[in-house]
Amino acid sequence: MKNIYSFSGPEGLKDTKHPIVFIHGTGMDHTVWTLPIRYFLRKDRNVLGIDLPGHGRSKGKLLETIPDMAKWLLGYLDHLKVNEFSVVGHSMGSLIALETASLAEKRAVNLVMVGTAFPMAVSDVLLDYAKNNKPEAIDILTYMGYSNQARLGRNTNPGMWMTGSTKKLLEKSNEGVIYQDLKACAEYDSGLKSAAKVSATTLLILGKKDFLTPPFKANDLINSFKDPLVKEIHDSGHTLMVESPNTVLDYLIEIL
Amino acid sequence: MKDPKELKPDTLSLHAGQRPDPATGARATPIYQTSSFVFDNSEIAAGIFNVERTGHVYSRITNPTNSVLEERISALEGGIGAIATSSGQAAMHLAISTILDSGSHIIASNCLYGGSHNLLEYTFPRFGIETTFIDFRDIDLVKKSFKENTRLVFGETLGNPGLDVMDIETISNISHENGVPLLVDSTFTTPHLMRPFDLGADLIFHSATKFLSGHGVVIGGLLVDSGNFNWEKSGKFPQLTEPYSGFHNMIFTQEFGPAAFISRARKEGARDFGACMSPHTAFLVLQGIETLGLRMDRHVATTLQIVEYLNNHDLVDKVIYPTLATHPDHKLASKLLPKGCGAVFTFELKGRREAGKAFIENLSIFSHLANVGDAKSLVIQPASTTHHRMDAASLEKAGISEGTIRLSVGLEDPEDLINDLDLGFRAAKKIL
Repeated sequence: MKNIYSFSGPEGLKDTKHPIVFIHGTGMDHTVWTLPIRYFLRKDRNVLGIDLPGHGRSKGKLLETIPDMAKWLLGYLDHLKVNEFSVVGHSMGSLIALETASLAEKRAVNLVMVGTAFPMAVSDVLLDYAKNNKPEAIDILTYMGYSNQARLGRNTNPGMWMTGSTKKLLEKSNEGVIYQDLKACAEYDSGLKSAAKVSATTLLILGKKDFLTPPFKANDLINSFKDPLVKEIHDSGHTLMVESPNTVLDYLIEIL
Repeated sequence: MKDPKELKPDTLSLHAGQRPDPATGARATPIYQTSSFVFDNSEIAAGIFNVERTGHVYSRITNPTNSVLEERISALEGGIGAIATSSGQAAMHLAISTILDSGSHIIASNCLYGGSHNLLEYTFPRFGIETTFIDFRDIDLVKKSFKENTRLVFGETLGNPGLDVMDIETISNISHENGVPLLVDSTFTTPHLMRPFDLGADLIFHSATKFLSGHGVVIGGLLVDSGNFNWEKSGKFPQLTEPYSGFHNMIFTQEFGPAAFISRARKEGARDFGACMSPHTAFLVLQGIETLGLRMDRHVATTLQIVEYLNNHDLVDKVIYPTLATHPDHKLASKLLPKGCGAVFTFELKGRREAGKAFIENLSIFSHLANVGDAKSLVIQPASTTHHRMDAASLEKAGISEGTIRLSVGLEDPEDLINDLDLGFRAAKKIL
């Protein structure tokens, strides 16, 4: 675990009491969660912004399946001696969060899935581009990752070009990472069973203008949870933490 | 699945960063002429200050009109974010002061705009930042000029006054091999003619006073971050990779990843130095950028006609423009600047200073002033104005002669401009 990076604020993890674990999506790293992490740190909560193995600053071999990633995450939490936790994931990270909350049903207090669907289908064309490390894979993920309006900009984060920032983060991922992540999403087939096992308080935050994981594709998942909360952000695409950061934070605060 | 189509520059020039105002439906970008912004409540205020929520606090740091401009130039340059500043000089200062400390060293091209040269040669040394000026065409010299404390390489896409074309690809490769970013002044080319990030530059600044605003009505600057440079791998920039006590020990690379530089530039430089752009200026620059592609094409087309006219004129010794086969960077310009080499150039008028004075004083459409990149055509003779204290030998050292005339070609009818120049030549001929 020594090659694994997780962000817990400038002072590091204070103690192991009920951290909020943030998990990024395909080809990303913990920086997609910087804003909410900063909020919860200010409120003296323990947080872990994870860079999955082979992502961001974490070294190590890429994990091949969503269940493997969830098992790895639980191993990491065990290593840190964390018992109870809440888990928040975006896109691929939401599936990892789901699987983690299912595997550790007694330890997971809250589960938040942001920009999610089940199954999380990935087109053959996109997989093929990613497999061959073609830049088109990044172009498609960036393009489809935003609502039509957001592609024109008007970021609430002043002066930052949304699609440019996302593209740059994806470009910084190592070769093979995007393919492995997309493949893991596409092959994950136990989402409904896992959702039925979850006892954590569950929230799904969905973007009404999401092209990658449109809200209707989360219906089966929603129906599989016991009593989930569902929030739709009407003018956001898939990259909700960038397109609607303040609304996402408000929803996170409500549950966490 | 079809491959996505990125929006083209002419579309981005009109739309990037802006949607109709949600409060009023205004189609044009409103001018948010306000110093500060009301918070919904204390908790929201704390959140914005702590960078956990997005929003505006104070127009020295961010402003909604400026933000539209910042997104627009980022989109056009292929960057991740930008900061609008009070001038191009302020943008350059912001770039350097964000990542250099006392004791740092810069390698700069020796053919820079005078203001940039002054800042590096005379002012920054007062703060412990030294610069070595070299000929960027001498690649071996570039390689040899790196020192232990070199932290930045800087040049212009088209140098001053000889329009030296910077081989950005080569220079950036050398910079990166030395763990140092390349900063480029892209004022003369604008993203319509060249996108330096595509060639390997890491940071760009513009004097938005020039072609971006395009009408000679504002002073403004823009600093753009590509998000490409790996500050952590370099290990030479503690400003971005170590705790910053000025913002609760934030480590910018840790929290903002590719946006580390532009985040520190705003959270420190915009906050502390305060060289911000007025929202009204931002609006005027945005108006200019809306027609950037149309204007630049016209600027270049007219320039080519005037270059040809001058190149065939009996009273002209030499025209310095990279599309001419006689220019030392002709081949490189053909590769890097296929759409043209801009609309600012110099030529050598036969005769000495008096001939130049007579030439300029008899022009009526070209305006005699110290600026470039206006919709109106401009002219200046360095030997009788900006460099009037220099003798012929000193002028030569600066790369100009007593007969050097600089033109900034505007958007008037090309025939009218040539007729105007003809009047100048007739007057100059009487002196010769």
